[in-house]
Amino acid sequence: MKARVPREFRHSAIAVVVATLLLLPMPLVVSSFGLHVLTIAFYYVILAASWNLLAGYTGQFSLAHHAFAAVGAYTSGLLGHHWGVPFWIGIPAGVALSGALGWGLGRLVLRMRAIYLAIATWAFAETVHIYLTADYQFTRGELGLSVKPLYGSVDPLPYYFTFLALTAVVLLFIRGLIDSPLGYFMRAIKDDELRAKSLGIDTTKVKVAVFSISSAIAGLAGGFYGHYIVLLSPQMIDFSEMAKIVVMVVIGGFGTFLGPIVGAAPVQVILTWLQKYGEWNLAVFALVVIVLMRFSMEGIAAVFAPWWRRLWAGRA
Amino acid sequence: MSAVALLSVDDIHAAYQPGVDILQGMSLAVPEGGFVLVIGPNGAGKSTLLKTVFGLLGPHRGGIALGGRAIAGLAPHEIKRLGVSYVPQELNTFPHLTVEENLRVGGWTLRHDKARLRERLARIYDIFPVLGQRRRDKAGSLSGGQGRMLSVAREMITEPRLMLVDEPTVGLAPNLAAQVYELLQTARRSTPTAILLVDQNVADALPHAEDVVMMNLGKVKAAGPRAEFPEQRVHALVQECLLG
Repeated sequence: MKARVPREFRHSAIAVVVATLLLLPMPLVVSSFGLHVLTIAFYYVILAASWNLLAGYTGQFSLAHHAFAAVGAYTSGLLGHHWGVPFWIGIPAGVALSGALGWGLGRLVLRMRAIYLAIATWAFAETVHIYLTADYQFTRGELGLSVKPLYGSVDPLPYYFTFLALTAVVLLFIRGLIDSPLGYFMRAIKDDELRAKSLGIDTTKVKVAVFSISSAIAGLAGGFYGHYIVLLSPQMIDFSEMAKIVVMVVIGGFGTFLGPIVGAAPVQVILTWLQKYGEWNLAVFALVVIVLMRFSMEGIAAVFAPWWRRLWAGRA
Repeated sequence: MSAVALLSVDDIHAAYQPGVDILQGMSLAVPEGGFVLVIGPNGAGKSTLLKTVFGLLGPHRGGIALGGRAIAGLAPHEIKRLGVSYVPQELNTFPHLTVEENLRVGGWTLRHDKARLRERLARIYDIFPVLGQRRRDKAGSLSGGQGRMLSVAREMITEPRLMLVDEPTVGLAPNLAAQVYELLQTARRSTPTAILLVDQNVADALPHAEDVVMMNLGKVKAAGPRAEFPEQRVHALVQECLLG
C-alpha cells in the first residue's frame, strides 16, 4: 500500500518550496542591511513557528521559549570560547541541551494549567537570565560572549541563504509534525484536555514531547543566530524578546501554520524600521498592533485563508 | 448475574469534596460480555460511578477490579490500556479534528501498531459507512446523531473489553435515541464488549439490558436480571427514592 501523504502537508510543502525559491534572488534587489534584517526575521520565524507548535497547537502557554534559544546560542558559544569546539558540534550540542532541558522542565511544569504554567516557565527563563549574568567568569555576562562567525566573516549574504534554508526545513518539519499522529494528539489536547484524557491519551507524555521538540528547535535557531551575530549577551533572555514572539504569533494567527510566518517577518521588519524613532518605536509598534487586531482578531493568516482554500479547491 | 465478573465494584466511597461522599458504599458486577444498565433518580451518583471506575475520580474506600486485577487509583490512560473505554455524557468529539483524526485519536493505545490501527479503521468504516464517507470532514460539522456515532465508534477502535457509557441519548431526537441503542448493540456484537450503561431514558434502554442496577444516594437500592424489573416496579422504585 502506498504511504499516504496528508493533503495539508503536500499543499504547505509546495507553498514553502515556492516561497523559498522566490526569496532566493533577494540579494540581487536588497542592500546588505536589508539582507541582515531578513536574516534576523527568519530567525524569528523559526522561534515563532516553534512556539506556536506548543502554544497554538497544544494549548501550552510557555514563556521560556527565548531562554531555550539562548541555551542553544550559549552552548555552542561557550563550547567554542572555552574549548575551541567547532560549530558543527556546538550547534547540535545546543539543540540536544535545549531539548533535554525542555523535557525536564516539561516534566516539572506541564501538569500545571494556564497562568501557573506561564509563571513557572517565566521563572525558568529568569533563572537562566540571572545565571548568564551572574556567572560572568564563565559566560562573560553583560560583557558579552564573542562567538566565531559561521563563515569567517559577518557579511550577511551566506547567512541569508543559511537562514532561508534552515527556516524552510524547520517549517516543513513542523508541518509534518502537525499532520502526524503526535499532531492530532496535540490538537486534541488543545481542544479539550480532559476529553483527551478520558480517551486514555497520556496527555502529559504528549505535552512533554512537544515541549522538548519546540525547545530543541528554539535551541537550533539560537545556535545559528549566535554564530551570525557573534556577540551574545543575556539580553537574549529579556522578557521583551518573549513578548515579541507572542506578538508575532498572535498578529500572524495563533494556532495556524501560516500565522507565525506572516506574523514574524513583518513584525521584525517594522520593528527594525521603527528603531529610528528611538524610545517611541514601541509606542508606534503598539499602535500598529492595535490597528491590525482591530481589523482581524484572528490575525493576518485569516485574511489569506479563503484565498488559500480557493487555490486548492477541487485538487487532491 | 453470572459468576465470572469482568468488572467488580466493591463498597466504593468517592467524593468531589472531602467529607461529601457521592458514592457511599456502591457495589456492582458486570459479567464478561454482559450489558448492565444503571438507573436511578438525578443525583444518585450514576455518572460519578462511571468516572470513578475510569479513574477520573479516586475512591477513598473500597475496591474496583477488572478481570480480578485491582484498578482503583490507576490513571485513566492506564485503565484504558487494560481495555476499558468511557463515553461521557456530553458530545465528546474534537470539533476541530477530522472524523478520521478523531478515530485515530481514539487509537492511542494502538499508535505503535499502524497495521492494526488501519485494519480497525477499515472495520469501523465497514460498520458505519457514513463515517467513511465523511472521514475528511471536521467532526464539528456532523449532525448530533453522527457525532454520537463517532464517539462510540472511536471507543470501538481499541476493541475494549468493557465500555462505560453515560446517558448516550441526552439531547437527541427520539428516533435518534433508538439508533444509539442499536449502535451500542452493534459495538457489543462486533467487538465483543461488555457494556455498563448509565441512563435516565429507562423506557428505551431497559429492553437492551441483561441486568439492571437501581441506584439511590450513592449505593444500590435494587439489582437483578432485567426480568425482575418490569416497568411498574421501576416506577414504584423511583417514586420510593424521590418520596423517601
